Parts: sequence; structure tokens; C-alpha cells
Amino acid sequence: MNTASHTPLKGSHTGRILVIATHTFTQLARMKVFYFLAIFAVIAIASNFFDLPQHAGPEALGANVLRSIKSWSLGAMTLFSVVLSIVATALLLPKDVEDRTLYTILAKPVPRLDYLIGKLLGVLMLVFVSLALMDVLMTVVLQIRTSMVLEQQEAMATAMGWTQDAIASMRVETLANGPNGSLQGAVFAVFLRASIMASLALLISTFSSSTLFTTIVSFLIYFIGHFQADARDVYLHAGQAGEGGVARIASLLVSLVLPDFQLFNVIDAVIEGQALPLLMLGKLTLVGLYYAFFFTIASWFIFADKEF
Amino acid sequence: MNYWRKPWILALALLAFGAVRLPFEAGLSRDLRAAGLFPAPMEISTRERIDQTSSAVALGGLRTLVATFLNLRAYGFFTEKRWADVADTFETIVDLAPRTRYYWETGSWHLAYNASSYCMNDSKLPPLRRREAWRASILSGRAFLERGIRNNPDDWSLHANLGFLLSDSNKFPAFQDPDKTFAAAAEAYRRSAQTGKALDYVQRARFYSLARVAGRESEALALGRKLYAESGKNRTPTLLILLLVLEARENPSMDVAGRAVEWFKTPEKAYDALSGHWQRTRERFPVYGVAGAIESLENSLSVPKEKSILAKPLPPPPNPDDWFRK
Repeated sequence: MNTASHTPLKGSHTGRILVIATHTFTQLARMKVFYFLAIFAVIAIASNFFDLPQHAGPEALGANVLRSIKSWSLGAMTLFSVVLSIVATALLLPKDVEDRTLYTILAKPVPRLDYLIGKLLGVLMLVFVSLALMDVLMTVVLQIRTSMVLEQQEAMATAMGWTQDAIASMRVETLANGPNGSLQGAVFAVFLRASIMASLALLISTFSSSTLFTTIVSFLIYFIGHFQADARDVYLHAGQAGEGGVARIASLLVSLVLPDFQLFNVIDAVIEGQALPLLMLGKLTLVGLYYAFFFTIASWFIFADKEF
Repeated sequence: MNYWRKPWILALALLAFGAVRLPFEAGLSRDLRAAGLFPAPMEISTRERIDQTSSAVALGGLRTLVATFLNLRAYGFFTEKRWADVADTFETIVDLAPRTRYYWETGSWHLAYNASSYCMNDSKLPPLRRREAWRASILSGRAFLERGIRNNPDDWSLHANLGFLLSDSNKFPAFQDPDKTFAAAAEAYRRSAQTGKALDYVQRARFYSLARVAGRESEALALGRKLYAESGKNRTPTLLILLLVLEARENPSMDVAGRAVEWFKTPEKAYDALSGHWQRTRERFPVYGVAGAIESLENSLSVPKEKSILAKPLPPPPNPDDWFRK
């Protein structure tokens, strides 16, 4: 007897969305995307070897290598997650059309919004699982290296006759560069940025004619999105530097149309050892959800009466 | 007509959606910048200095990753003694990651210590040019570190590193006025201690610098006494001797030898400490009453005149004229 037939979700919107999401996840996983984890493991381990000679006291010993591990790992996570979210989403609709799966699904009483949300969730599940696996790898490598650095620092500080207070203070500074809550927050920020890109790629793919077009336009928007804040500043402070009306209108349009990806550059601050307050992460989550919601609804608006 | 209806609605919705989020995002940017979580926009000069690929990667939100790559490149330049490239690369690195203490300290170290030492010994250059290059490197290292401090005013280590540089006996001769230089070093240490995160030695280093500033001996003595009273850790030989010397300046009739024996427990240890201080000419420490105390201790310890530390030639004080003679 099929237990799924008794699931209360069956036939509901949530149930349909989950089925499509799970199917999308499986479909993408079968494309062997998880192989990149091997490359990530190599990057995480290789970043351990960039321990350049030190010139300062024990407090600086190994601090750079910890930052190097975080920098390489979070950099790789950003690249993988953005590429994965754009390419996987750009593939979805054309592949379903090509395989004729789309016709089968839409021939059933599946609302198009459920189909789109399910597809997007499938990609996000894939990005989330990938990031979680990379995060585990990074945390393990960083934890091991932090312990080694602390051990070295304490041995050197003790040999130099440092007081317990001084050693404790050094320990606090080193731990700020180790695995901590802020680092997990930064990984979540990477996920949020990838989520926005996936939902944006979904919107583009609803009216685009090819996977390549969706991918290229999405990447362009990704890069230009890092200038959105500059355009916004130009608009908000227009007149102070003598900008003309055209420049003001252009900067306003860029600010209104493109997502602000610079907000997610808090990741850099975390790599540099800054703490990421929960409130700020909460606000970033709101921004991420707002974009994802709007782009998904906009995708549905275009996709709702599209004929295949 | 109907064909354009949807795109128009979508465009309007996009603008309306943008108008709603714009104030929130602007506010969040301000909050993040205030919390020190937001890097300054990348300068056009930085974009020009790094190659196209790195620029694209940096603009794609991976500034610290590019900084890490450039740090490796700078290390390569360092091993090849390409000092101009080291300086340029660190300029770019700190533009990309201005909150990372390591980059400011390493860049300054390369300029003020490594490049300057190389210039000092670069036999290909005539003495005058070597001297100028040596001085310019040290000044660049100082300027770099001071810029790091302006970017990270709460970082105790950057302030302390400036103090080390200004009070280093191989470096302070590069600056015009030793009194001003030691005063600046003492100020750097004071600011480091003021952050509340500095290690104990920073306050002692402040005292060592202040003691060398002509006209501020009384201030130095008050600081030395405070440190001595504050903690049993502040009993280093340098601190004790300087305290002794500054007290001797305040009170010329003081029995310096007697006080030294009291603090160092035995006449032999007191004599060793005072002799060591007498020989530290490179540091330009004050020596009020030291010669008299040594003489007195030599008499009580029956040190023959010919073996007197006072009869031995003193190491020459740091003088760039001597360093760059040949």
C-alpha cells in the first residue's frame, strides 16, 4: 500500500510543489553536479598551505592562513552557488519543453504557479544542500587549523613569558577568525544571493528563447547588481556633484530595476574577522525573500498564459 | 496591442517594487556601513591596477578572495626584491580588504623594514642614493601604517606597530627630529592601550618611548611609577633602570647605586643592569646618574679600573652618516 496516498498534502498546493521540487532536485542531482564538491575539497585543503612567513609576535601567527581558508572557501561557495543557481534554473524550462515533461505536467490540474515554485524550490534545495556540504567541509578544515594555530600561539606566548590574560586575549582574537556563528551567517548570505539569482533567472527564462540567453543576461545582471548601490547613491545625492537630469534618471532606473547585490558583501567583512549581528542577517533575509517573492510572482505573470 | 500589455505591466511592477525597496536598502546599506560590515566602494584606480579578470571577480563580490591572490603575488615580488611592485600590490590589497590588519602590517613591514634594509645594502647604488632610498622606504612604511590606522582606528596592533617602527633604533634616524619621533611613538602606544585590547607590553613600550623625549621626563616618570605600582609584571630590567634614571634626574642627590641594589637584590645584579643600560647607546635612553652609580658599584665590587665598563668604548649611536659612508 502506498503511504503517500494517505498524505494530507497530496493534491494540495504544498504537496504538488514538494513533488515538483523533489523531482527537480533529483533531476539536477543526476546531472552529477555534486562532483564539484571534490574540487571544493581540494580548494579548502589547498588554502591551508598559503601560510606565508610571519613578521610579528605570536598573536599574528597563523591568523593569515585562517583568513585564507575562509576567503578561498567562501569565494568558491559564491562562485559555485551563483553558477549553479543561474545555470540550473536556465536549464529547467527549456529541458522540460525538450523532454516534453512540461506538457505532461501542464496537462494535469497543476497550477502554473505551483510548477514554477516547485522548480525554483528544487534548484534552491540543490544550492542549499551543496552549500551545506561545502560549509561542513570548510568548518572541519577551519576547526582543525584553528586548533593547530591556537596550540602554536600558546606555546610561543608561554615561551615568551606572556601572562594568562594576554594569552586569553590572543585566543579571543584568533577564535574570531575561526569557525563561528558569523561565518555560518556569511554562508547563509551566500545562499540568499544565490536564491535571488535563481528567482531572477527563472523570470528571465519565462520569456527568453534560449538557455544561453538566460545565462548570459543573468550573469550580466549579477555583475551590474554590484553597482546598483553606487547608482542609488548617485540618485540620492544627485545635485551635490553637479550631475545632470539624464544621469539622475539613469541612476534611478538602475536602482529601481536591478537588485542590490552589494548588500551581500558583508561576507567580506566576516572573512576579515568582523562579527555579523543577527539583526543584520535578518534584514538581509527579508531582502532576499522580497526579491524571490517578486521575481517568482513576475515569472508566473509571464508564464501564466504562455503557450507551448 | 495586447502583446505589449504584459511587458508594460511587468515594467511598471518592477519600478513600483524598486521604489518600495529602495529606502529599505539605502537604510540597510547605511546600517551595514555604520557597523563596519560594508567595504568602501572600489576605487577606479584599484580597478585599473588589477587585471580584467580579477576586477570582474572583485566586482562580483569576492574582494577578499582577490586580496588573498594578490597577497600571494606580493610575496613573490618580495622574494624577487621587486619593491615597487610589492608597494603597488599592497596598495591594491588594502583597497580591496581595508579591514584586515594583516595586510596593513605586512605591507608596512615590507616597506619600512625589508625594502629599507635592501636599499641600505644595495651595492649598485652610490651612498647618497642608497640613503635616500632607505629613508623613503621607511617613510612609505610609516605612511602606509598610518593609513591603516585611519581605516581601523580601534585596532590596537596597528597603533602598536607604528610605535615599534618609530622607536626602532634602526629606523628612527630616518626621521628628522628624534624627540618628535619618540613622542609620536609614545602617542601611538597610548592610543593602542586606549583601545582596551592591547597587550601589557604596549604600556611599557609607551614608557620606554616617553622616557626618551627631552622635556617630558617628568611625565614619563609619573607613567613609570604608575606602571610599577599597577602590576608586578612591570618589573622588567629596562623599566626599573629607566625609573631609576628618571628619579635621579628629578633628585640629583639620590643614591642611585643604593636604589639599584635595593631593586635588583644584589650589587652584582645591579651592576650588570646598569652596565647594560650604559652600553645601550643605540636606543638613546637617558643616563642620568648612571655613570656615578656604576663607579660607586665598581668600587664596592672591587672592579679593576682597566676592566671598568666606563673605560670600554661605547657602541656608536645610530647615525646614517656612518651607515652610508661607503
